[in-house]
Amino acid sequence: MFRADANKSVRFCDGLTRRDFLHAGSLATLGLGLPAFASLQARGAVAKDADVNCIMLFLVGAPSQLDTWDMKPGAPEEIRGPFKPIATKIPGLQVSEIFPRMAGQMDKVALLRGVHYEGAAVHDIGHQLMQTGRLFTGGIEYPNVGCVLSKLKGSKGDTPPNVLLPKPIGPTGGNMPHGQFAGFLGKSFDPFVLNADPNAKGFKVPDLLPPDYVTSARETRRKSLRQAIDGGVAAFESSADAKLLDANFAQAYRLMSSKTAREAFNLNSEPDAVRDRYGRTRFGQSCLLARRLIERGVRFVTVNMFETVFNEITWDIHGSAPFSPIECYKNEVGPNFDNAYSTLLEDLTQRGLLANTMVLAFGEFGRTPKINPAGGRDHHPGCWTALFAGGPIKGGQVVGASDEIGSAPKDRPVSTAEIAATIYHGLGIKLDTDLPGPQGRPIRIVDHGVEPVLELF
Amino acid sequence: MSSRPRLWSAFLAMFLAFGPPCLAEPISLLPGKAHLDGRKATQRFLVERREGNAWTSDLSDKATFSVENPKVARVSADGTVTPQGDGTTAVVAKVDGHETRAELVVSHFDVDSPWSFKNHVLPVFTKAGCNSGACHGAAAGKAGFRLTLRGYGPEIDYDVLSRQAVGRRVVKSAPAESLILLKPTGAIDHGGGTRISTDSLEYRVIAEWIADGMTRPSDADAKIVSLAVSPDAVRLSLGDRQSVVVQATYSDGRVADVTRWAKFASTDETVAKVDEDGSIKVEGRGEASVTVWYASLVGRTTVTSPSKALDPKVFATAERRNLIDVHNLAKLQSLGIPPSPDSGDAAFLRRAMLDATGTLPAAEVVEAFLIDRNPNKRAELVNRLLVSPEYVDYWAYKWSDLFLISSKRLAAPAMWAFYSAIRQSVAENVTWDKFARSIVTAKGDSQTNGLANYFVLHRDPIDLTESASMAFLGLSLTCARCHNHPMEKWTQDQYYGMANLFSRVKLKDGAAVGDVVVLPSPEGDIHHPRTGGIMPPQPLDAKALAISDRGDRREAFASWLAQKDNPYFARAIVNRVWHNFFSRGLIDPEDDLRATNPSSDEPLMNALVADFLAHHYDIKHLIRTIMGSAVYARSSVPVPGNEADIKFLSHYVVKRLPAEVLLDAMSQVSGVPTPFTGYPAGWRSLQLPDTKPESTFLDAFGRPERESTCSCERSVEPSMGQALSLLNGEVVNGKLRSDGSVVAKAIAAGMSDDAMIDRLFLSALSRRPTEAERTKLGSTLAESLAGIKDPKLIVSAKRAAIEDLYWATLTSKEFLFNH
Repeated sequence: MFRADANKSVRFCDGLTRRDFLHAGSLATLGLGLPAFASLQARGAVAKDADVNCIMLFLVGAPSQLDTWDMKPGAPEEIRGPFKPIATKIPGLQVSEIFPRMAGQMDKVALLRGVHYEGAAVHDIGHQLMQTGRLFTGGIEYPNVGCVLSKLKGSKGDTPPNVLLPKPIGPTGGNMPHGQFAGFLGKSFDPFVLNADPNAKGFKVPDLLPPDYVTSARETRRKSLRQAIDGGVAAFESSADAKLLDANFAQAYRLMSSKTAREAFNLNSEPDAVRDRYGRTRFGQSCLLARRLIERGVRFVTVNMFETVFNEITWDIHGSAPFSPIECYKNEVGPNFDNAYSTLLEDLTQRGLLANTMVLAFGEFGRTPKINPAGGRDHHPGCWTALFAGGPIKGGQVVGASDEIGSAPKDRPVSTAEIAATIYHGLGIKLDTDLPGPQGRPIRIVDHGVEPVLELF
Repeated sequence: MSSRPRLWSAFLAMFLAFGPPCLAEPISLLPGKAHLDGRKATQRFLVERREGNAWTSDLSDKATFSVENPKVARVSADGTVTPQGDGTTAVVAKVDGHETRAELVVSHFDVDSPWSFKNHVLPVFTKAGCNSGACHGAAAGKAGFRLTLRGYGPEIDYDVLSRQAVGRRVVKSAPAESLILLKPTGAIDHGGGTRISTDSLEYRVIAEWIADGMTRPSDADAKIVSLAVSPDAVRLSLGDRQSVVVQATYSDGRVADVTRWAKFASTDETVAKVDEDGSIKVEGRGEASVTVWYASLVGRTTVTSPSKALDPKVFATAERRNLIDVHNLAKLQSLGIPPSPDSGDAAFLRRAMLDATGTLPAAEVVEAFLIDRNPNKRAELVNRLLVSPEYVDYWAYKWSDLFLISSKRLAAPAMWAFYSAIRQSVAENVTWDKFARSIVTAKGDSQTNGLANYFVLHRDPIDLTESASMAFLGLSLTCARCHNHPMEKWTQDQYYGMANLFSRVKLKDGAAVGDVVVLPSPEGDIHHPRTGGIMPPQPLDAKALAISDRGDRREAFASWLAQKDNPYFARAIVNRVWHNFFSRGLIDPEDDLRATNPSSDEPLMNALVADFLAHHYDIKHLIRTIMGSAVYARSSVPVPGNEADIKFLSHYVVKRLPAEVLLDAMSQVSGVPTPFTGYPAGWRSLQLPDTKPESTFLDAFGRPERESTCSCERSVEPSMGQALSLLNGEVVNGKLRSDGSVVAKAIAAGMSDDAMIDRLFLSALSRRPTEAERTKLGSTLAESLAGIKDPKLIVSAKRAAIEDLYWATLTSKEFLFNH
């Protein structure tokens, strides 16, 4: 499935600028010359194995299907909204005008246009369903797909198997868990959370390296002293939090002592041009960081495009404060996504990483077909679009369709459980795999009878 | 079992046939009696085994049922009774030679009153899922057919059915041709699939309602007033099954079996699962509630699945210092979980100071407490803590989290005014009802009356409704803003009734920049976004005010909060305070008081709330009660049989120190305060009025942003980022390296290694080191200096070694956790 066609998409148009030239996509232009790339491969720092990795771009707030990837230009004005469709690289496949760069990448992308769930239109619930495949009921918290991957495959080398950028999803109104953690698998399978803004000036992973005066001899002495003190209280033996702290220390030591791991987080070694192309936004730089992490052995990276839906410009376009207006798709949120997503696909392709890296992008639900009195659209789990690309995914296709107003699936509906099944299938995990559930009972990664969307493969 | 008691009990039963259940009989019918009013009424009976006061197994499947007078009623094999004629008789059940009976009255057998739209047809729709949020109950409806969510608007639904799609949706002349029957039975294509079968009671209800002329909902319809679940609590074993019966009582006095149309959910599926019909299966040990939802009312039954019974002496001899201990030991005994012993003085001192004041005891305080022989020393300690300035710092910080005090959205003087007012309330121990009133009715200049800033932070009725509900009631109403709450009983109408309490607040600029004057206004209403109308101002379930009333509506809200029968207000704060001490509320999460999220120990919760009310909302009394209990003083070390318990307080559950407490503890032990820009040297993080001052350490350890009213803003879980911060961060390393640190001072004073180790343990871990620890640490320090001759190098090597010792202590679990 290796795709070498990305270079062909470059347009040598009149008035070629330096920026355009950089766009012209060799590895060198993206900051890593072939020799460096080869040396990474030789050191085993680049994933060469058959394992499929995954980058999940979680579009917090929930993009409107009608204004993005499932436009209805023939529908009445109060349905079709303010944006116009544009042609893409795939004849007959249109996307919204807010994604001009993405249009050139659609050969890599498969659209699922009939995603839906039956349940409350609450952000938190959509977050759970899309990232774990299940609704949290009866006191059971189900694990995020990336945490399941961590549990089943462990880490490749020194990097953590699963990283969450830049921060977990914060409060979005429902006061419920968002499905980003390991749930019943236990917190030791939680992702490593960056908790920093990769777009901040002087960004680095907080406290990744010891101060220079703490020499390695002192490091050793510290460890031994700490061990001597830590034996003291028996209360900690049965405490999950205390065990987790031990595991965190062990992981932190591994991360600190690994050059590959440290390099993975070093965004400063990316040329400005590359950083510009991803977009100088928190999301853009997180996507670039995701690529570096995958390149160096991380199996699963989640990028939360936003942290919350309140008092921040997001996909959550109710049209009134503290939410966002629909126009933000054109002037802020749309371009932010378009730049980062398109560059990520190009970049992964050029580095030969797209073949074994799935790139997912979706929100927690769709939005109401009819524009509301505030000029926005409200929550609508009845139908929306999910984007799958990379790894074993066959790009350039549309699977499923919505009805004439994008309200319900008309063809090939896909449930959120099937989304999880599809991700697991793409990652090469058998769907009848059991996980150790609460009180020792096995719980299948997806319920019996839930099938992946095989049309994608 | 001998036959004598059985005979005796049968004898008694004959005399007491219609009295209360006979205590000698080990089985009973549930419900204990029933009244079938009208020809359509039915009632299912369960046969339940009883041991002592507890229901212990469902014998209905094994029982044979009969009715004494078959002219009055008939009973099916599963215990469902149907009327045959007016009269009084008894339902009789026999199991294994035991017999039990229940009174049964049938009246109005000749009256076949039509199905009620509100009380029969809509519940059928709800149970079948027709009016769920995912189907026709969605705001936009589904496939052109829109019902109100879970049937909250009977009149609207009736109009939709009777007026739209005339002659198709409902065909009066041929009910079976109606779309509302053809679709859900799958006779014609239905996006939602087949929901009901043509031979079901559900089908009959709808069909007969149409055939009978589609009785319209009216105010004269009986209203549901309460819901009862039988059994209301049951003790079962692993693998057991149990059915439940749900009865609704109506305003006309009628009681009906609504089990069939109720919805069921388990609060802990690892203990008990429940299916659509209300059949429970025990999956694990512990306790779970099965919640029952019917017509916007919530009931529940508690399922206990104990570990093997323990020697009753364990509980009989356990210490009972106050009401908390009494209830908790009863709970532990019912679950078969043994309590851990007392924690000992050193652990109690450390725990009490951290939980009540967020500070560690100084080395001298530890020594003095350990040698004090006063038997009341713990109670006296608690009293000292409650009047300490650190108590005020700690609780003012906590309530500042709750009320989102921050200079992110307030000008600095306003932020200070708000904080100072909160602080003063804590210092004066203003009762919680008065405190709440002073916030929700605050008016005047926001710098003179700092609490008025609450209305500056939350500027519109929507924001005020949601933040006040979270802060004072532990209820999240957000969902009901746009539609009826999909998981709770709150409707959009109730939401806008509540919001209208806050619609008459005006803000105008004050004299200084950032100064705001908050004024109650005699007019202004918020409009219901769907109906465009105005809802009378109404605090949730309470009585509505007249729209024309020109008084300050916020006063009515404050008065409702402080009504003794307010089901949320006292409970919410009791649970918040409880959470502070046990790191888990009796209700978890601490601010989620949904009816479907019951507490882990309802009798204890009720007793605490009653005690809190009896003491007039006195927070310090509540704290004293909690800290004075034997439960609070239990060791954090589990004993065999309670290792897995984190819910029932059998041992103290260890918890990581909150961000600010941890940072202050590090400053205290190292002797080096953390600088905060704009604050004087030595200012502790718990004294900050604001969460804006930059601190990557506090952020990494979960300091809340104070942007939305939710306990979920604070994170207390360990993470790898925290491990990195402890290992490599500037906070720990910088403090130890500082020239002002206790390390520097101890070395300058020529303190011996032993003395330093002692002091470190007392100040950081609130205990003396063991001999083994002293030896091991002492030898590591000695090794560090081995072979160094140059006196200058000895000094620097010694310094590094002691720094490392401190580092190792400040990053140890014993230091990082409250235990």
